[in-house]
Amino acid sequence: MSLSRVLIYSLVLLAAVFYLLPLFVMLMTSLKDLEEIRSGTLLSLPQGLNFDAWSKAWGTACTGVDCNGMKGFFWNSVLIVVPAVIISTILGALNGYVLTKWRFRGSNLFFGMLLIGTMIPFQVILLPMARTLGFLGLAGTTSGLIMVHIIYGLAFTTLFFRNYYISIPNELVNAARIDGAGFWLIFFRIVLPISVPIVVVSVIWQFTQIWNDFLFGVVYSSGDAQPITVALNNLVNTSMGVKEYNVDMAAAIIAALPTLLVYIVAGKYFVRGLTAGAVKG
Amino acid sequence: MKALKIQNVEKTFGSIKVLKGIDLEIEPGQFLILVGPSGCGKSTLLNMIAGLESVSNGNITIGDRDVTHLDPKDRDIAMVFQSYALYPNMTVKQNISFGLEINKTPKDELEATVAKVAKMLQIEPLLNRKPKQLSGGQRQRVAMGRALARDPSIYLFDEPLSNLDAKLRVEMRSEIKELHQRVGTTIVYVTHDQIEAMTLGDVIAVMKDGEIQQFGSPQDIYDNPKNQFVAGFMGSPSMNFVPCDVKQGMNGLVLVLESGGASHELPVENGIEGLSEYVGKKVVLGIRPEQLTQVSEDKPDTMTIPCLIEIIEPTGPDTMVTARLNGVRTVCRVHPTAQSKVGELMPLQFDMSKAVFFDPDTEQRIY
Ligand SMILES: Nc1ncnc2c1ncn2[C@@H]1O[C@H](COP(=O)(O)OP(=O)(O)OP(=O)(O)O)[C@@H](O)[C@H]1O
Ligand SMILES: [Mg+2]
Repeated sequence: MSLSRVLIYSLVLLAAVFYLLPLFVMLMTSLKDLEEIRSGTLLSLPQGLNFDAWSKAWGTACTGVDCNGMKGFFWNSVLIVVPAVIISTILGALNGYVLTKWRFRGSNLFFGMLLIGTMIPFQVILLPMARTLGFLGLAGTTSGLIMVHIIYGLAFTTLFFRNYYISIPNELVNAARIDGAGFWLIFFRIVLPISVPIVVVSVIWQFTQIWNDFLFGVVYSSGDAQPITVALNNLVNTSMGVKEYNVDMAAAIIAALPTLLVYIVAGKYFVRGLTAGAVKG
Repeated sequence: MKALKIQNVEKTFGSIKVLKGIDLEIEPGQFLILVGPSGCGKSTLLNMIAGLESVSNGNITIGDRDVTHLDPKDRDIAMVFQSYALYPNMTVKQNISFGLEINKTPKDELEATVAKVAKMLQIEPLLNRKPKQLSGGQRQRVAMGRALARDPSIYLFDEPLSNLDAKLRVEMRSEIKELHQRVGTTIVYVTHDQIEAMTLGDVIAVMKDGEIQQFGSPQDIYDNPKNQFVAGFMGSPSMNFVPCDVKQGMNGLVLVLESGGASHELPVENGIEGLSEYVGKKVVLGIRPEQLTQVSEDKPDTMTIPCLIEIIEPTGPDTMVTARLNGVRTVCRVHPTAQSKVGELMPLQFDMSKAVFFDPDTEQRIY
């Protein structure tokens, strides 16, 4: 093995350790009891597999006044994420399809404005959105929060699909038009079936964004409807007596698990989709 | 009834006029070629016939229907694209039957049509493959199959052979010609290859800068080009253009040709009356390589001029030799056994019966 090879591998290894160490510490801590945490060091291994902290985090830990653990909030997040991801991805695909294959007067301007949407920070839209939700009677509801995520994500999903579809030759759509297909038929029969890589990108992106969102969740939802990120924050901040680091760590891992899983399952499609080039006929 | 009638059709993109008033008509069953250099508007015109581009001005009639504002699907046309545009997610069979399926063709009729088309194009073994598992030539066939399955009143082809290698292109060219003879449907075919235009077309429209320069049969366009552009575009190697002075000779007009260090007077065949106005002025002599040959006995009354040979290019059946006439490189087609050596003088025979003349300023033909 040449010197440069050795160098490259050690660098990669170092980076891996750097990113994996926090996860390792969290995992180890979550498996210890409080006594072990106090007496041992951060990196010391637990004496046995002790899942007490996990079951407490899931079922009985206190997140403020209630002490029902994370499980209710986990399902809240699922209920928010699933429709928001599906709807924003479908709308993004349709936008991208229209912006590339059925261009209209001003479609470039429209796309330019959407691009600005990707650069707007969360904080900027907090107040106007709160007013809008109030006006629509959706303040504090799960549907309201879903709507916020869809609207905010639309700029991104549209950008993904538009950039993917621009590389699909127009002749494909023209051929289908001559074959007698219309707007929807071409979308569902020709365009969508070759969009799998970019659908995966959009789903992963939206899933992580929405699942990990804290700000919108804390602002636009309340009480029992809050997403898991907000619940995690409450759990960690609710301390009666001693700080239960093991429960905190278990809860944090529970909150991070779905995004981790999505990357493990679909990660290779994510990379493939991001680099996918022209679709050759 | 005409198969296709295009009346004063114009197209503007923004402020650019891409087509400037196109007029043409073809009879049912004719094979029309649109030929011209890149960017002259061939594809735009074809897309307008197809209904894929809107018409800025003018009318398009297919059969007895004005289709100017109809959707592509209502025009009764089928089209083969340059990039083939096969649906990548569908099998060959699905590609061919997609249009039929949309038109709600009954299942057994659909199957029969696919089978017939596949047989005609010899793609039966490929029916269950996806386009990316096909070679270029096979994709080309499938693209044609998709069009053939539709049985429309006009087929539109946009440079269908330009992505194939040279050998396959020649093969597919004769297949298309044979197919046309068999099905007899009207075809509009875009190409920038003048050999394809000559070999396939019943009628050719030579286009340049959004205008039709000349419209006629291949032979007519070859023998009687209307202007210097058409003359130079059709034919390979292309026609030679030699600027010459016109003089009054003893028995009619002569052209002054400087060749091999000496000046020669080349008599002009009679019958070109317009030339008399050019006495004392310059004209452009247009003469094709096959009219400049080695000296042969069976044409005793043609003029022979010694020419200095600069380049020799054997092609097999003929050898192209390049001489210099009036300072212009001129290609001549001679028999391989007759060629001399580079740098030597070779007597060449000028067959002026098919020579044409152009005004050097307007580039229009002098009749
Ligand atoms: N959508 C468009 N917007 C603006 N200009 C266009 C558009 N489509 C074509 N043009 C212009 O119209 C002219 C004719 O284009 P067209 O595609 O018809 O050329 P062509 O004769 O088919 O050339 P080629 O042999 O290269 O295919 C070109 O100058 C081109 O730049
Ligand atoms: Mg073209």
